[in-house]
Amino acid sequence: MIPSSGGLIASRSDAELNSALGGDGCFVDYGACVVRVRSVAHPFTDLLRRVYGAFPLQASAEFADFHVELVPGKGVRRWLRPTARFRIDGVEPFEPFPATSTLPLFEWGVNWCFGQRFNQHVLLHAGTLAIGERAVVMPAVPGSGKSTLSAAMMLRGFRLLSDEFGVLKPETGELLAMLKPVALKNQSIGVIRAFSGDAVLGPVFPETRKGDVAHLAPDLASVSAIHQPARPALVIFPRYVEGSDLEVTPQPPEQAFARLAFNSFNYALLGPVSFHAVADVAESCPGYALRYSRLDEAIDCIVSLLEDTRGPR
Amino acid sequence: MRLRSKGREVEAHLLPLLRDIAHADTMTLADWDATLRLARLARVLGVLAHRIRSDQSRWARVPEPVRGHLRASINYAAHRAQMVRMELAALDRALPADMQVIVLKGAAYQLQGVPIAQGRSPNDVDLLVARADLDRAESVLNQAGWVSEVRDDYDQRYYREWSHELPPMRYPGHALEVDLHHTIAPVTSHARADDRLLFDGLVLIPGSRYWALDPCDQIIHAAVHLFQDSELDARLRDLVDIDGLVRFHLRDEGTWNRLIERAGRHGATRLLWYGLHYCKAWLATPVPERALRQAPPRRAQWAMDWVFSRATLPRLPDRPPGAMVRLAGALGRLRYHLLRMPPALLLRHLAHKTWTRRFARRSASPR
Repeated sequence: MIPSSGGLIASRSDAELNSALGGDGCFVDYGACVVRVRSVAHPFTDLLRRVYGAFPLQASAEFADFHVELVPGKGVRRWLRPTARFRIDGVEPFEPFPATSTLPLFEWGVNWCFGQRFNQHVLLHAGTLAIGERAVVMPAVPGSGKSTLSAAMMLRGFRLLSDEFGVLKPETGELLAMLKPVALKNQSIGVIRAFSGDAVLGPVFPETRKGDVAHLAPDLASVSAIHQPARPALVIFPRYVEGSDLEVTPQPPEQAFARLAFNSFNYALLGPVSFHAVADVAESCPGYALRYSRLDEAIDCIVSLLEDTRGPR
Repeated sequence: MRLRSKGREVEAHLLPLLRDIAHADTMTLADWDATLRLARLARVLGVLAHRIRSDQSRWARVPEPVRGHLRASINYAAHRAQMVRMELAALDRALPADMQVIVLKGAAYQLQGVPIAQGRSPNDVDLLVARADLDRAESVLNQAGWVSEVRDDYDQRYYREWSHELPPMRYPGHALEVDLHHTIAPVTSHARADDRLLFDGLVLIPGSRYWALDPCDQIIHAAVHLFQDSELDARLRDLVDIDGLVRFHLRDEGTWNRLIERAGRHGATRLLWYGLHYCKAWLATPVPERALRQAPPRRAQWAMDWVFSRATLPRLPDRPPGAMVRLAGALGRLRYHLLRMPPALLLRHLAHKTWTRRFARRSASPR
């Protein structure tokens, strides 16, 4: 969709990245939206190369959905306690972060813009992954291990659409990617590091508002498929319970509907639009509650449940 | 007439779109990039989206990523309209049936089905009651659970003595604030609405317990609001409101004469003149020459043009504003305050605000 100026971010030099960030900006294509980011804040090119490595560097584009800026803090504080501020169209939606946390600030800011403004789609609070065109939607409240399970599934070959947003297009019932680095929190960081040698993780940012945070880079396969549509095929409500055995409980459609609607950023705002879109998913996809403690066991189970949905229905 | 906006970003597409939605047919994806941002900053994106969608073939020609943003703003506005309906229903249950309650601005446009309500996203519900009913209305709402969010004594006093509305109230958990007015212009300002005339002109909205102002008074109120009440970034939207009201309500010479006459009696001739002047210049509102006859002196007009065009039209924040834009912003704010209150009172007010802000910053400074 957008002309690429060629080459992945991983292979670009500091000078190239800085000149894009400090000039007209970098255009990051997340699938559902394009963000133009400009930055004169504390440099974070090393981090970009690591956690956005598989994304192409686009230094120009006709259109961006969001125009954001990362700028240094103001006044005397700027020297005593350097901070970074996030701005969208001149508005600063939240308090500055320490300058060393520019990446978490950027990630949080993009989530905020998307969650606030992208009301053309139903935004489920769900991990979304796919094999081919068939997607698993995993809605869950924070702390259920949704991001960790999403990360592990990507590392076992699923295509990651998002660990946070189930972007449901109401006109077609399709799911769009909102592919961002997966923000892993606290113990999950070590879990994923131990889970796969292929995991590319950014540094740990200690004691952010959500505890320790580290970002897992999306893999090249997921980035390459960013504009491929996927259709919801299976709904899983995951819950990590330490030491528990695997337990799969079918969810009748009315219950799946309620849980999908509850785990949504803009269900109430969209009224009838989201009612119909969510009802379609609950009606057409089998739903299961999944309690687990061992990632591989949970993933095997999801793979076979997804296989089962292939049968004549 | 268009000269006043020449060379500004908004003249490329935003104002042409607001003048005639057919302009959308000429726009590329790159044109939309800046235009969506400007329209959002000026809070007119929803209105534009509705106008475009009213023609299916035009809608289909808009590039898909742009249509996404337009859909989002239509969905958001529909949600806000629903919040307005719910708030009005809740207020209806709380307010005594025998009290005459008038809805102002967005809620009135919505209940009366004025096209400009489509895609507009109100932040609050504005009600007007007779001054004699004000205390009763407030205490009834307080008893029913609406509470003022203004805690500061000085601010409470500011609203009650020098404003034309009570401090905003909100029912805990509700999306919208309620502003309870007793007249349509700040009591300390030059414009002094003729309350007798205002209340004699009320019309009952069919199928509702709520009343609306006479259409001419609605336009006058919008003009007063534009210059005395509006946050700077919402001013283009206020002009779009006036444009929409004029196109909907003023269709013959008699109504135009009535508008001019009523503005005179409300002490708002000058404010209405400016409102219509900018509507005509920027939005090509059909304003007959004779409605603009009572022009202010040339020098006042020139100064106003200089400040207003710089301080009102949205601009992209990619580059910091130039010195002239900042100066115009400062002058615009000064003028806004001077229109609202006499200089001595203004000095006192600003001194208080500066002092408390400094003090608050020092004592509340975290970390």
